Amino acid sequence: MRPENYQSKNHPPSNEYELNFGPNHPGIEGNYALQLKLHGDEIVSARADGGYLHRGFEKLMENRLWIQNIALVPRICVPDPAPMELCYSLAVEEISGFDVPQRAQWIRVLQLELSRISAHLFTFGGHAATTGMYSNMYWGVADRDILLDLFEEMTGGRVYSIYNIPGGVRRDLPEGFLDRVSSTMDYIESRLPDYDNLFFTNQVFVRRAKGAGVMNQEQALEWGVTGPNLRATGLAFDVRRDDPYLVYDQLDFEIPTEEAGDAWARTLVRRHELMQSIRIVRQVVKALPDIGGPIRCPIPNPLAWNVPAGEAYSRIESSKGETCYYVVSNGGDKPYRVHVRGPSSMHAVQVLENLVTGCRIEDVAQIMFSLDACPPEVDR
Amino acid sequence: MGNEIIQWLDNLLADVPGVGYHRKSDRRIRMDVSSETLPTLLELLRGRASYVHLSAITCVDWIKDGEFELVYHLWSYENNTLVSVHTRLPRSPGVYLSVYDIYHPAAFFERDIHEMFGLYFEGSPDMEKFILTEWDGPPPMRKDFDSEAWARRKFNFQDYQPEWLTKLEEQGGGVAVRPEDLRDKIRASEADE
Amino acid sequence: MADEKEFPVMIQRANDPKRSNPMAHVFDELVKFCRSRSLFMLHYCTGCGAIELPPAMTSRFDMERLGIQPMVTPRQADILLVTGYVSTKTLKRIILTYEQMSSPKYVVGICSCTVNGGMYWQSYATAKKLDEYLPVDLYIAGCMPRPEAVMEGMKKLMGDIRSGKASNWKDYYENYDYYLGNQQHLFGDNWQTPTDVLAEAKTYGLEANGTAGEHTTLLQQYQSPLQPITTHFRIGETVERADQNESAKHGDK
Repeated sequence: MRPENYQSKNHPPSNEYELNFGPNHPGIEGNYALQLKLHGDEIVSARADGGYLHRGFEKLMENRLWIQNIALVPRICVPDPAPMELCYSLAVEEISGFDVPQRAQWIRVLQLELSRISAHLFTFGGHAATTGMYSNMYWGVADRDILLDLFEEMTGGRVYSIYNIPGGVRRDLPEGFLDRVSSTMDYIESRLPDYDNLFFTNQVFVRRAKGAGVMNQEQALEWGVTGPNLRATGLAFDVRRDDPYLVYDQLDFEIPTEEAGDAWARTLVRRHELMQSIRIVRQVVKALPDIGGPIRCPIPNPLAWNVPAGEAYSRIESSKGETCYYVVSNGGDKPYRVHVRGPSSMHAVQVLENLVTGCRIEDVAQIMFSLDACPPEVDR
Repeated sequence: MGNEIIQWLDNLLADVPGVGYHRKSDRRIRMDVSSETLPTLLELLRGRASYVHLSAITCVDWIKDGEFELVYHLWSYENNTLVSVHTRLPRSPGVYLSVYDIYHPAAFFERDIHEMFGLYFEGSPDMEKFILTEWDGPPPMRKDFDSEAWARRKFNFQDYQPEWLTKLEEQGGGVAVRPEDLRDKIRASEADE
Repeated sequence: MADEKEFPVMIQRANDPKRSNPMAHVFDELVKFCRSRSLFMLHYCTGCGAIELPPAMTSRFDMERLGIQPMVTPRQADILLVTGYVSTKTLKRIILTYEQMSSPKYVVGICSCTVNGGMYWQSYATAKKLDEYLPVDLYIAGCMPRPEAVMEGMKKLMGDIRSGKASNWKDYYENYDYYLGNQQHLFGDNWQTPTDVLAEAKTYGLEANGTAGEHTTLLQQYQSPLQPITTHFRIGETVERADQNESAKHGDK
């Protein structure tokens, strides 16, 4: 699967050397390493080296109560933690047979889409920084901070919210919160033309990113690519539309695709997705005041809660791709097995090794950020 | 095309002996097969039934039965259904065949299961350790490995300093609102409502 | 290898008699003031807490006005920020990085996981107490601490540097045996780093009773001398070398 015996066209094999694109590197998103073999400045083979962020989550989750795992689970994906909580809660709800009330489902959609917008803003900043445009990184991080303020108001935590529990959400929305969400969405929409001028139509970015890390649709399907990376090769597949969960089947949104399959196309798909997320948030804000009811279905005492025996596989679309949790219960008060499948399990290991082969050393960081590979998801 | 395949799955495959078929919901199907017939079933599902996406391979350690359970989750873009294929293997010669030739994403999951559970997959392209490269203990996800005992043996915890509050107060800090007072205040306001 | 007589290098030792000038201490205060106002932190995101560092460094909370900037190489950095839990694999790299930094250097342990293991206290893969392996100057607790908390901690560190309290880098040399013992307990007896800490301790004049001990004798058994790295970078025969041409032109004359 890795292109064996890749022959470099521009440099003779005598100019071969090995380089450790190591964990301490600003071009790597997080704490992850790539061992590269180069001919000149062209990469001939690459090998991913992970495990720097390994905490043994799946083992830890077997030793905690069902409700205690909600505190552990967002830490698996650091930039985009809300989908992780939701996926775990959906799996436990499926095993227990809970019926989540409508208001909780709409609030969950609101949290997820805000988390998606904040994660995409962070990725734009990261991708721009790898091509040398640092102003975008500052803008992206600063705009994301305004969304983190919203999260803090809603859930109590800026990054790790611990808000979704099996059965619903923990707290209702504060007063006036929906107006603040609308004004924040107006603000972010007003910022998008600035981003376009500085980043998306900037010739520096376009020339660097076009042609970097190209994959076509067959390769993407063969390698197990999901999420915006797959949509950038032309296949319009989104778990929210084709395997809907929560109330996504009542919402109106489009699935943007691009054809090129290179770093430029992937980032552009994320930018269009950001617009669609803003559209979804506006629909939710309009619909939420009319939906009343409880925010949580009655769950047993969390400290003495035995989930019936069973298993469930829950699947959602996080900002990086398809996130799945497989939860097995044997009737006890702790999970028997929780398997976390993050989208970066595919993107950061095999796809990254394949895409980086044949490109120049300056594009490695760009390809990694354009794939939005999140090392904590790989290492768990 | 999609409906025909779903009907075929529901009707024909349910009658095939050796394949336990159970439709859990609209888009979730569960199948139980023996470990010998699993690769054939996967090839059939991929080639004929358009289940081209391998979402994950999970390993569950049923230590009381002495078995490993492998679950293959497959998704079809045309039928929009997820099929989970379950199979059981005996725990002691922990060897199985790899499905890398059928599904390329299996390489990562098989590598992960090998280093976490000790189950070897023959035919997988890369069985070297990925996460636990500098680990010299037993496979950690097995149920007979006690993570806390290992952690207590290898690491030490911080000493508890009981005079932490006096140190802060010396520097001019301290507690502004005691938690007991705050709790009483909240209870009083709740009683008023 | 050059002979020392050819390149006379002035080495300032701690008890150098030149320092008996009473006016020398005036510049000490100035140096400590400047050092506290211009700290370069190493840009190594070791764990979860790294997600709150970009907001702290960029326009909203702006750590740069305190003089703290990210630096990519450890050789020119002052602060090693251990942002979050430290897995065993990362701990090796952190120790290597710490020994590559030039003194004076400071370690800041951010997040509760460096203090006492945090919520991964049962995990087989994370280290629980960071100051067993490295001397830590400051802990900032939280999970994770807000950017304002990080800046508050940095201001305390700056105050400590100005007053001279933050000098735990000396502790690494003075108690190297203790740190090395903990590192060997975790990584195995053949743990070694490219840095010769004992020689550095002698150079800085910081040798104490705790520098050498049973663990350092164990280290010296396993320590192999540094080998020159062989690069595979050979220039191909078809490429003309400029200096060969030059010598060909002028060589026969």
